[in-house]
Amino acid sequence: MTALDTLATREDQISPGISACVGCNVELTLRTVLKVLGPNTILAIPPGCMGGVGVVGWDKMSGAKVPVFFPLLDNSASMLAGIRLGLKARGREANVVAFAGDGATVDAGFQALSGAAERGDKIIYICYDNEGYMNTGYQRSSSTSKGSWTSTTPVSKEGSGGKPQHRKDFPLIMAMHDLPYVATASPAYIPDLVKKVERAMEVKEGLAYIHIYNPCLTGWGIKSDDSIAISRLSVQSRFFPLWEAHGRRLQFTVRVPKPVPVADYVRRIGKFRHLDEARIAELQAITDERYSFLEAMDRMGGGANAPGA
Amino acid sequence: MSRVDVLNGNLAAAHAARLSRPEVIAAYPITPQTPVVEYLTQFHADGSLPCQMSEVESEHSAMSILTGASLTGVRCYTATSSQGLALMYEPYFRASTLRLPIVMNIVNREMISPQTVWGGPQDSMTLRDAGWLQIYVEDNQEILDTTIQAFKVAESAEVLLPINVCYDGFYLSHMTERVEIPSQEEVDAFLPPYRSRHIILDPETPMAVDPLTNGRLLMEYRRKHMAAQQAALVAIEKADAEYARRFGRSWGGVIDEYRTEDAEYLMVSLGSVCGALRECIDDARARGVRVGLLKIRSLRPFPRARVIEALAGKKGFGVIDRNVSFGTNTGILFQEIRAALYSAGSRYPAASFIGGLGGEDLTLEIVAGAIKSTIETVDAGKIDNEASWLVRPERKA
Repeated sequence: MTALDTLATREDQISPGISACVGCNVELTLRTVLKVLGPNTILAIPPGCMGGVGVVGWDKMSGAKVPVFFPLLDNSASMLAGIRLGLKARGREANVVAFAGDGATVDAGFQALSGAAERGDKIIYICYDNEGYMNTGYQRSSSTSKGSWTSTTPVSKEGSGGKPQHRKDFPLIMAMHDLPYVATASPAYIPDLVKKVERAMEVKEGLAYIHIYNPCLTGWGIKSDDSIAISRLSVQSRFFPLWEAHGRRLQFTVRVPKPVPVADYVRRIGKFRHLDEARIAELQAITDERYSFLEAMDRMGGGANAPGA
Repeated sequence: MSRVDVLNGNLAAAHAARLSRPEVIAAYPITPQTPVVEYLTQFHADGSLPCQMSEVESEHSAMSILTGASLTGVRCYTATSSQGLALMYEPYFRASTLRLPIVMNIVNREMISPQTVWGGPQDSMTLRDAGWLQIYVEDNQEILDTTIQAFKVAESAEVLLPINVCYDGFYLSHMTERVEIPSQEEVDAFLPPYRSRHIILDPETPMAVDPLTNGRLLMEYRRKHMAAQQAALVAIEKADAEYARRFGRSWGGVIDEYRTEDAEYLMVSLGSVCGALRECIDDARARGVRVGLLKIRSLRPFPRARVIEALAGKKGFGVIDRNVSFGTNTGILFQEIRAALYSAGSRYPAASFIGGLGGEDLTLEIVAGAIKSTIETVDAGKIDNEASWLVRPERKA
């Protein structure tokens, strides 16, 4: 069955009418992921965009058809670890899943997530990374790109400012926990995402981690009909490469032999408008360096000739 | 058949947890609670504690794991101390407001700073308004009996609240005493298995747990939570009575009284210092001084009616607090007792003492001094608005 067949035949597990921004690719991602996961799923939505738009619910109404709850901002992984233990005690099996923003994952939630990863708690943790705290007006996170305007890394009239540090390479940090499955994904590559969620579901023991890069229309200054095009550029510029890793065997899942310049990606995004040539060149250099590192890992993992590549 | 052993407080707590058949345990070691975690993992390894156990990377995750596990409807247990409790404050408050009947021993330890690892109930008493039930105990047998009862109280349908059984670090946690350990069959007969009926994360019955909630509905939750705290006053007494019937030991329920019947003066406190108070009360009684002990077992819910009743007709009282209530010049328990009496329209002369912080010893001499000072204050008709500090004289080099 192809990914498109899967999506065409599966029931949407998210209620209609949730209030995400027009063109939000996180909502698309969530609906896609939940279609693959199916109804036998317990879903954690920590504070963040998807909580704010009503996926957990409002008062006595639910935003999802599966059991869903708000963890705290910083304990999605440990609450899910507890749910897994409770299910084990009851002799039950279900997908135990977090769908969490980057703030709840790479910042406040990192300790709990790293702890669960090291212990091997059997959960599927999916991070939707939109580079900051978007539902509260875009404050910086440790996943925000260097140079980016945010409401807490403002830009002066002369164009100086923006975030001084580059985003941490979080999916690689997760892979270095020697997990059974780690992957990156993009809303512009839905079949790739579907396959990755299926692989996460196949994991028998331990934590599976998927890091999805979701350009944010309202926060980043992107037109709503540009959402998917810009997501694709993030991959085609090698700014956010798509790969998967079983333990330390990492392989690209989308190969980008002829990348577009990072400038072509950055120039389409409002939050980078103040960046001059030199600062864009700096982003290009960081992108090249990080990509070379992944290429080396990909070669060690068997590269394009590896089974399953 | 029960058996008698010599146990430190931590081992008494671990046996109580084992006998209560928790289904999930998550814990992180911290002095002076650490041996509890070691005992439990050993029981688990030996097969006498067949539960799911998680050794977490922090107390924040310990309470988060139990919150998650309890949401699947199973029985949960943990233990912590001081800084660990402070670190888990966020999921701690939430466990009570989600009405999850988790049982947690708190091995009381002073709060930093200055840097300290020794005893004192400042850690848990500071959190008295976080919605948990809190019971304070005096010796190791009481740790074991109360921890078993705690599951029954927390899980009872009219309560459904998490509960702390608090005992003094080192004075109880590391001191050995004779403890009677009931058999598994006896505990099973007292404590039936738990299954959640009010909240559950289960794909067979999908439910949104804790969606965004408006203030009006939130206030309804708070009002019901407060009513459940009041229901716990009854549940604690009921559990104590049933336990006494089955095991032959009663701890008095929400309070305990010692030689109060004909007393003119009452000393009020909680925790292990009540042992020293009993000794000193016996000495004073031998000299014809009519003094008794009012031991507060349940700080939350606060046993207002029984405190009023216990003090009725007395000349006055003194409170020994092993904690401070910053900004009030006294300890927390003194504030609580005064507030309870005000609601009954009663006005007693009263003495306030703070001592025994950071593991500092409250010797028989010091406690006897506090009794003497209480009698002077009461006879003079005074009400302290500032605590007297109970300190040992400095040793000459």
